[in-house]
Amino acid sequence: MFKLNKDSVFGTLVIISCFCLVCSVLVSSAVVVLEPYKAAAVANNRQINILNVSGFELKGSVAKTYAAHIEPRLLDVEKGVLLTADEVKAQNIKDVDGYDFAALSKKPGVSVKIEKAKDTAGIGSRAKLMPVYLSKDDAGKVQRVILPFYGQALWSTVYGYVAIDPVDGNTVKGVTFYQHGETPGLGGEIENPRWQALWVNKKINNESGEYKFRISKNADHTGAGKDFDVDALSGATLTSRGVNDFTAYWLSDAYKPFLEKLGKGEIKLNE
Amino acid sequence: MSNTVKVPTWKESFLEPIIANNPVMIQILGICSSLAVTSSMKTAFVMGLSVTFVATVANVAVSLVRNYVPNSVRIIAQMTIIASLVILVDQLLKAFAFDLSKQLSVYVGLIITNCIVMGRTEGFALKYPPLPSLFDGLGNGLGYMLVLCVVATIRELFGSGTWFGLTVFQSVNNGGWYVPCGFLVMPPCAFFLLGMLIWAIKTMRKDLQEPNEYDTHREDY
Repeated sequence: MFKLNKDSVFGTLVIISCFCLVCSVLVSSAVVVLEPYKAAAVANNRQINILNVSGFELKGSVAKTYAAHIEPRLLDVEKGVLLTADEVKAQNIKDVDGYDFAALSKKPGVSVKIEKAKDTAGIGSRAKLMPVYLSKDDAGKVQRVILPFYGQALWSTVYGYVAIDPVDGNTVKGVTFYQHGETPGLGGEIENPRWQALWVNKKINNESGEYKFRISKNADHTGAGKDFDVDALSGATLTSRGVNDFTAYWLSDAYKPFLEKLGKGEIKLNE
Repeated sequence: MSNTVKVPTWKESFLEPIIANNPVMIQILGICSSLAVTSSMKTAFVMGLSVTFVATVANVAVSLVRNYVPNSVRIIAQMTIIASLVILVDQLLKAFAFDLSKQLSVYVGLIITNCIVMGRTEGFALKYPPLPSLFDGLGNGLGYMLVLCVVATIRELFGSGTWFGLTVFQSVNNGGWYVPCGFLVMPPCAFFLLGMLIWAIKTMRKDLQEPNEYDTHREDY
């Protein structure tokens, strides 16, 4: 029988190739088999985060509370209008709730390029449609409008939700970040509820409609800036700057048409 | 391959690494992750389990193929096995413990570079048959887990007043009486705790102390 010398060049090559083959089959089959479970975990995580900024307490299971209070809709970002059920159907979109704007942000046809000068989020392009979650009380009245937003921070793309008052379209009601790769303990503190609480009741624009919201080391707590300034995280200057910049892109540029329409009462959510 | 080497009994290979030859306290390996994930009991426990799993299975796998691995690339071969196992663990955590996997973030992936796993496959599994290797991996993993849990218990209990996320001392922030020691949840604190642990274990077990590398009572000093 042919005897393979394991320490010869040829033997080494053969053996190590077999090794890699076995290991890669193992790894890839694990990834494929676990895919549905991971997707379910991601969906559950998304629902928890949306509920976090919805202003409603968790009652019973996550899925139950979510179904009772959250209505997912799709927003045509450029026009600033919500799609009707028929329009959604016409575009053949099946999953509104889990509309994967991140995966579609580079796909031709459903995405748009962002001009370099305007792209403070550092994302290059975004999906034309974005999911919007309406948070309703027991009577069905919309209490908050929850918008997804994301952008480049220091190490990673940070994803989050910001809840806006549906009446004036100008007041932040809550914020949460659900995916990021910032340094734990420093930039990772964007997850800290105590910091997120600083966002609550801040205004986006001043009375003349200029974008004023900012995250800053020199946040003004008493003077003219007290309605707009959020303290930056100490030890996380670059993460704070990144969050500030991408928030600016979404709230002062991308979502501007929608928020303006909300403020002027052109979109009626409660009828 | 000569089989004249004395194979350690399962008792030796399993019990030694738990205290007497503990990978963290005595060999001072795997310090990085034990500092990073011990601010709460949940993460420490899951991390301990993951490392135990990886160390055990990697040890058995490496031991099974030990006679076929070409000597020149044995480190790479071990890395391939370890890395595959770690990806497996990472995927499982993402699927069934999403929240924990977010908290553990990169540290699960970093098990690949954990010196304990690599050290055991290279130092033990390459020389001995699968069964002793299994006990050795298990022992070392559990030794690591033990240290993690001790450090995490102290840090979580006095740093946030909870244990496994359950309130033990009601903290002031939640309307209780306990003022949490903020320093304990910071990473450097784990360093001090680990140091004190090593000190304690070496004081209790004099036989674990290393001999001085120099003579303190030399005449010509």
